[in-house]
Amino acid sequence: MEAPVADDRLLHQRVVGGEETALGEVYDRFAPLVFGLAVRITRDRMISEDITQEVFVAFWERPLAFDPARGTLRAWLATIAHRRAVDHVRAQERRKASVLGPRLLEPEPERLEDQVLSRQEADGVRLAVGKLPDHLREVIELAYYRGRTYRQVADELGLPEGTAKSRIRLGLRRLADALAEEGT
Amino acid sequence: MNDDPARRLYLDALTEAAEVPRTSLRPLLFTAARARRRPAVAASGWTAPYAGRIAAMDALLAEVDEDDWHKETVEGWTLQELLAHLAAKDGLVALAVGAPVLGPPVTVDEALARTAQLQEYERRREPGQTRRDWRAQADALCRHLAALPPDTPADVSGFPMAAADHLLGRALETWLHTADAAGVVGIAVPDPVPEHIAPTADLCVRVMPVTMRVSGHAVPEGRAVRLVLTGPGGGRWHVPLHPGGRAVREDGAAGGTGLDGASAGGIGTDGASADATITCDVVEFCFLVGGRGEPATFAAEVEGDSALARDLLHAAPALSGP
Repeated sequence: MEAPVADDRLLHQRVVGGEETALGEVYDRFAPLVFGLAVRITRDRMISEDITQEVFVAFWERPLAFDPARGTLRAWLATIAHRRAVDHVRAQERRKASVLGPRLLEPEPERLEDQVLSRQEADGVRLAVGKLPDHLREVIELAYYRGRTYRQVADELGLPEGTAKSRIRLGLRRLADALAEEGT
Repeated sequence: MNDDPARRLYLDALTEAAEVPRTSLRPLLFTAARARRRPAVAASGWTAPYAGRIAAMDALLAEVDEDDWHKETVEGWTLQELLAHLAAKDGLVALAVGAPVLGPPVTVDEALARTAQLQEYERRREPGQTRRDWRAQADALCRHLAALPPDTPADVSGFPMAAADHLLGRALETWLHTADAAGVVGIAVPDPVPEHIAPTADLCVRVMPVTMRVSGHAVPEGRAVRLVLTGPGGGRWHVPLHPGGRAVREDGAAGGTGLDGASAGGIGTDGASADATITCDVVEFCFLVGGRGEPATFAAEVEGDSALARDLLHAAPALSGP
């Protein structure tokens, strides 16, 4: 849950300096997130593999488009992945629509926001947190909405740190399941 | 943009539920990446700090638009002319070590004359061509040098030094001009990695006796400063300031290019007497030596002989040129 900002900076310095092994490390660290995100949006594993590769190649090709002073690398890569996955879904929808014949009224294209989470999705996250069992909800709320560290969460709830940590991870997995069921 | 808890929670949940493609995309990734942006020619070894700065400048050039190429940078040069200047000086090092030299034949082995000649040539070409040739010149120089020992003597424009030091000088100048250009186009470029800053800072420290001499300070033997450069890639040096004085790293880190076997261990020099101790940021010190700082207002902590420290800081940029 803690953002490894120092790692981000060093990885970024290395990628800007043209070090391929740094790209490999970025890929190893974030490919599961990027691929998982793409699968969740496109529901197509092949397309998601293409999107995943495209995201990391884009970061390699133009590393200065990312500025570590403005956010984490994880959020940046997720933003690009999200944008490309949504673009793909929209293109699919347009293709389907054109097969069905010309429309009298072209719908206004939805404005694609420059962020991973739409308002709707953010509400979805909050709703899903509310539906978690109490013992998971309280650790998630403390860790995310009150900015507590694992240690502090453990102290406040009188739990061993390991227990607090595993409850947070379990809560995150439950959230991911809930969000996947809910659809994008 | 990461402060929003819902967003962080969403990303963390996705990370927990991450999925892995059935087969690794890694091999394909590198092939596709290489086709879109060339990696640094050397990722390790003594040419790596230079190769890294070339890759970083090229990354900056990937961000510039048509107008940016004609913006004024330093010395009244446009970005295109600045790049021609870098290529000119890289070419003179290439000439000295027998590497390929790109562009029109070198008629005068002098930095500003060659710069003018190459700028004249490049002004008639597209910025993209200037960029390609600058990169090709740098890569050719780097490839050629990587096969040679770092202490290969090289006489560049009548200035004899080890090839490794000439190349560190090129790394520093490319870094400085990348910062110049980045400022003009409004894009942040990160510093080199600490392992690349360290040998560059080591060069900057080692030239202090020379900058003192050329600035007219006749320092007698026995006078020395301790330089403490803070931040990633920094270190501690004992620097005798008389002509020919040899700076020695005191913190045991392998600072330099491996040229100076004695400096790596810092044998017996720890605690050697110094008339002053100057503590400052390592990157700011490199930039000061490169002529990108104001000696009078330079942020440094000084203990001991403050007049000597002031002389050193004022003399530091003496070797910097365009």
